[in-house]
Amino acid sequence: MRQCTSLWLFALLAPALALAAPNPKLAIPSFSALAQKATESVTITLDPGLLGLAAKFLDSNDPQDAATKEVLKGLQGIYVRSYTFDKDSAYQQSDIDAVRSQLAAPGWNRLVETRSRKTHADVDIYIMVDHNQAVGLALIASEPRQFTIVNIVGAIDLDKLHKLEGQFGVPKLDIDPSKGTQAPSK
Amino acid sequence: MNDDSTDPLDEQLSKARRGERAALTLLVQTHQRSVYSLALRMLGTRDLAEDLTQEVFMQMNGNLSAIDSNRHLGFWLRQVTTNRAIDQLRRRARVQLTSLDEEPQLFSAEEASDPLLQRHLRALLADLSPPARAVLLLRYQEDLDPVEIARTLDMPLNTVKSHLKRSLESMREKTASMQPMRCEGSSYE
Amino acid sequence: MSKDIESQMRAALRAVAPSEEFTQKLVANVTSRLPAPRKPRRFAARLRPLAWWFSASLAASVVLAVGVHQHLQQQRLQQSGLEARREVLEALRVTSQKLNLAYEAVKSQSTSLTDAQSGA
Repeated sequence: MRQCTSLWLFALLAPALALAAPNPKLAIPSFSALAQKATESVTITLDPGLLGLAAKFLDSNDPQDAATKEVLKGLQGIYVRSYTFDKDSAYQQSDIDAVRSQLAAPGWNRLVETRSRKTHADVDIYIMVDHNQAVGLALIASEPRQFTIVNIVGAIDLDKLHKLEGQFGVPKLDIDPSKGTQAPSK
Repeated sequence: MNDDSTDPLDEQLSKARRGERAALTLLVQTHQRSVYSLALRMLGTRDLAEDLTQEVFMQMNGNLSAIDSNRHLGFWLRQVTTNRAIDQLRRRARVQLTSLDEEPQLFSAEEASDPLLQRHLRALLADLSPPARAVLLLRYQEDLDPVEIARTLDMPLNTVKSHLKRSLESMREKTASMQPMRCEGSSYE
Repeated sequence: MSKDIESQMRAALRAVAPSEEFTQKLVANVTSRLPAPRKPRRFAARLRPLAWWFSASLAASVVLAVGVHQHLQQQRLQQSGLEARREVLEALRVTSQKLNLAYEAVKSQSTSLTDAQSGA
């Protein structure tokens, strides 16, 4: 009887337990209404299968492909949504709130928060760390006529991401995943 | 440009169909500039252009039996490249400005060459809708006439002409300030 | 003026070559998919029984159909793979672009702070 009770309790609590475990994969809305208004949109959904397939077609002899292959190792997913509009304020911050609210959940640490008066761009970078390793990255960039959400899931090797510098114009970011909000240094 | 005389590459095409690597290599090397340039100016970045170029030639490899001459091959490659580029752009609804760093600078030795203006024209080209961009590329890069462009893009001839007229007018207006002022009666030595 | 802009367009849109490295890779990839060259066949010197020809043709058709199917599958996989590769590169390009925005913002803030401190 006691065993039965325990089992029932476990069955009831298991979903809650599962929810409590931090999930580096964000639930990104479809943004279908915004996509219709946008003049440009980028929608990329790369699950483990597609990442594996892509890796096979990356040429190890090409520096950019080789560096990309290294970054892809250990990744479980890359998700990008980017929408550009032909006028300012075509989207509301509340449109992105559904994503931001997930980043307030335990597990996510805000690494960088920038507000630029010069470019009018706000960029927030979050990292999820598990056992001292980055297991998720989320980036939200909002500009007057564009917003971008990037979610990278998996064992992100920030060193390797850093080594992409010059390949895609990635800047040097001295990021220590064990620290919270950490301003990048030169 | 229409030339009925035998194209020496027709024989290479026959050999490529029979599986001869050297012939296929020669065909790829002959046409890659055209395909790559179309892809680059349609899609805007070297990476995307290289990917599309590769896909087009892989597809060509699988379709050699349906291509009966080098001239037909040129038509087929232009058609597939522009249509695939337009499809890609439509799928993503994105118009990516050509990074001015992506294009190697071709400085013409011609007297009337204006590299800055040309750079600006390329940037304006990137602002056009994909179909209009394709029309201008086929006209000024590939030197096709409107009828050939209409056939390549499967577009009505009047639409081709309309794209040409409107795009050129727009470019003319936007580059008017960059053109040297010409006063009637003056001479430039 | 009309001729000017058209001639400038032609000059601006002269075809450009990809890098030598890419060309080599392209040629290697395209020619690696080439089937083995067919040797010229000699016609049979004597007629074979019809039944043998029929079964041989049937077998050849099946082999051909399987081969074509595999080839098409391979092509589809190839195209999917190239598409996936392109999406990965695009995703990382967008990510790096936005990381750069953050970097530039912090850099300019650091510069302002340094200027303010040295001014004080």
